[in-house]
Amino acid sequence: MDTINKYTASFGASLAITSILSAVLVVIKESSENTVLALMKNLTGHHWATHGLFIVLAFILIGFGLAKTNNGQGLKMTPERLIAVIVGAVVLSGLIIAGFYLFAD
Amino acid sequence: MTEVILMAHVLFGMLCIIAAVWLFVDVLNANEGNQGRIKTMSIAVAVFMWLAYLVGGYWYLVFYAADKAVILKGPWPFAHNFFMEMKEHVVIMLLLLATFLPIAASNNLVINKSARKLMLWVVGLVVLIGVAMDGSGAIIGIGAKVGLMKG
Repeated sequence: MDTINKYTASFGASLAITSILSAVLVVIKESSENTVLALMKNLTGHHWATHGLFIVLAFILIGFGLAKTNNGQGLKMTPERLIAVIVGAVVLSGLIIAGFYLFAD
Repeated sequence: MTEVILMAHVLFGMLCIIAAVWLFVDVLNANEGNQGRIKTMSIAVAVFMWLAYLVGGYWYLVFYAADKAVILKGPWPFAHNFFMEMKEHVVIMLLLLATFLPIAASNNLVINKSARKLMLWVVGLVVLIGVAMDGSGAIIGIGAKVGLMKG
């Protein structure tokens, strides 16, 4: 059976997690203008800059964190499952973001 | 000057899509001869995407407010309310996908069919989302144009 290296599995999973996190953050910040959105604006001067910085940092930290699991062998996941997780997360995140601005905002 | 910044954003975005299509074809035909090029092109996709993101982000943070006001007062307010709002957040996902490519390309794609399949899915997503972002940018531009024509 084909396997993928630990950084591919770990950063692939991190990509899926942070995609969902980013979409959820969109809903939370846009629904909480006086609290979350205001805090994000204060941190860098613009909520979008804070959003991007937070998600990129989360991607890096979660990726390296997952790579250290299993006594340094990294996250164990089959390539097929990783594909399903990444594609599923990206499609779901896209639908959450587009759906929010289309119907809820 | 602002037009140059905006055009550079579009240029880097288009180069990212072109490099991704090139990468897709190379991965489909992965062999010992193109392994090095696959790694180089996966880095190129990530670099072009980061440049598009940083240049576009600078323009968005510094200059977009004036365009936004024109769009919202014009006949196409959805160009901002939906397309810009959606684009500015979906593009972060695209940035992560492009950044992941050099990592996925570090596997031996010649002997590892599953790693090749993973690369094809991720590159495919980069191309599809990239084209969607490009189209959204065009709608935002037309939104500003029709707003100015009305005024």
